[in-house]
Amino acid sequence: MKDTVITVAVKRRELWIWLTCFIVSNLVNITTIICYTTPWYEIFTQLGYVTVMSVLLYALTVVARLVWYVVRRLTSSEDKR
Amino acid sequence: MDRKEFLKDCGRMGLAGWVLSIFPWLESCSDRTRQEVQGEKARIGIIGTGSRGLFHIQHLLQMPQVEVTALCDDYTPHLEDAAQYYPSAKLYSDYRRLLEDRNVDGVIIATPLYLHAPMTLDAMEAGKRVFCEKAMAYSQEDCLRVYNRRKELGAVLFIGQQRLFDPKYIKAMSMIHEGRIGDVVGVRNYWYRNNNWRRDVPSPELERRINWRLYSEYSRGLMTELACHQLQNGSWSIGMLPEQVMGSGHLVHWTKEDKRDVFDTVSAIFTYPNGVNMTFESIISNKHFGMGEQILGSQGTIDLVSGLIYSDEPMPKGSGIHQLVTQIENGIMSNSVFAGTSWAAETSPLAPGLPIMPNVTVNTGESTIGAEADGSKEIIEAFANAVITGRQPEKILEESYYASQFALLADRAMHENRILTLDDRFKVPYEPIRNRA
Repeated sequence: MKDTVITVAVKRRELWIWLTCFIVSNLVNITTIICYTTPWYEIFTQLGYVTVMSVLLYALTVVARLVWYVVRRLTSSEDKR
Repeated sequence: MDRKEFLKDCGRMGLAGWVLSIFPWLESCSDRTRQEVQGEKARIGIIGTGSRGLFHIQHLLQMPQVEVTALCDDYTPHLEDAAQYYPSAKLYSDYRRLLEDRNVDGVIIATPLYLHAPMTLDAMEAGKRVFCEKAMAYSQEDCLRVYNRRKELGAVLFIGQQRLFDPKYIKAMSMIHEGRIGDVVGVRNYWYRNNNWRRDVPSPELERRINWRLYSEYSRGLMTELACHQLQNGSWSIGMLPEQVMGSGHLVHWTKEDKRDVFDTVSAIFTYPNGVNMTFESIISNKHFGMGEQILGSQGTIDLVSGLIYSDEPMPKGSGIHQLVTQIENGIMSNSVFAGTSWAAETSPLAPGLPIMPNVTVNTGESTIGAEADGSKEIIEAFANAVITGRQPEKILEESYYASQFALLADRAMHENRILTLDDRFKVPYEPIRNRA
């Protein structure tokens, strides 16, 4: 088994992706506040929900990227043949 | 529930301070009256010792201020049953002899309907204080006769409308008058049973005497025996009297086995001057819905029987994001967040009602004799106190009078198949029960 090295660039990229997910989740929260006419303080009180949602969105991006990676690997190996 | 508990219930209702000014008849069982009658005895005679008479005896036995000095019934087995509870009471088979008894200050009349008016009139003439079971009388004319004579004599007269003394009704009416359910827009009453309404008869010649409720010669059937209790809900909650009544009554089911001639299925609609309708329906061949008395308001509903209040205001649905998650869970994401539903099926809301007060006792209405904790004990106790004090409680007679009048009017409407209004000659002064706050 060999050591795995996560570079600073990768860490930074993943953090940016999660941060984007967190911002999107907050935008969803704000949208629901407007649509359901609930109080604005839910921007803060619903941060738990928002955080969970951001993690779920991040997990979705991981799955999407994995799919993209597998597809690319398959298509590039076919090209080599 | 004893009197202390009753008043404690009033306290729990938050009514203790001003309850007596809104519901003045409760003065007859207030702390002040209790102190006033302490150490004194109400000497009571009971006329009619059948099932309802015995039901009252069970309550009277618990009241230290009551001494039952005389019992009367022309059916010996009933008289003997009652005498077991009061061995020293004088026994009579003719009520007129009981009325001559100087050791009787007040009488409880629990006899068939057709006897209510003559017995009440005779008892008042004899100077007795009177409690008579509902309905007040067999005919509208007799109701008026009893009402007027009581007024002339200044007698004490209670009619057995026990809901006037039931804490949950008092609390509910107080909430209605405060506007907790908005404007009263409808009143629904129903009373369903599935039994033949018969008592066992030891020999055939006693059939009409024992099962008097089934024969129009003695009773007006479901309207006077059941509706009479519920009809006062309308005037009590709306604060006015019905303007007209229509109804339909038929013998639908209990026709095969007996010769009864009162309806076993009735429906009546009472319309108030403001257009609000009160309905009463009774069927005694299906009991699925039991007994119900519901005041429908523009902002909510109070179920008087179960003591629950239902709000028409939407229940809080949680935070916006929580509502979104719920909608996703429900699979209706497509039309929800940005548009909202424009139509919802008008089915009954599933939101549970909230109790209007703690420890509500629910009466199913199935008993043909009487129910516990429905105000029956309290009204008898109030009467016992009034026998001692000689004071007629305010308003209670007018409420009872009109409950009887409209029950009888609806019965007439059913028989004549017409829409009827109460004749002016039957109208007596009526001040609605309203919050003075």
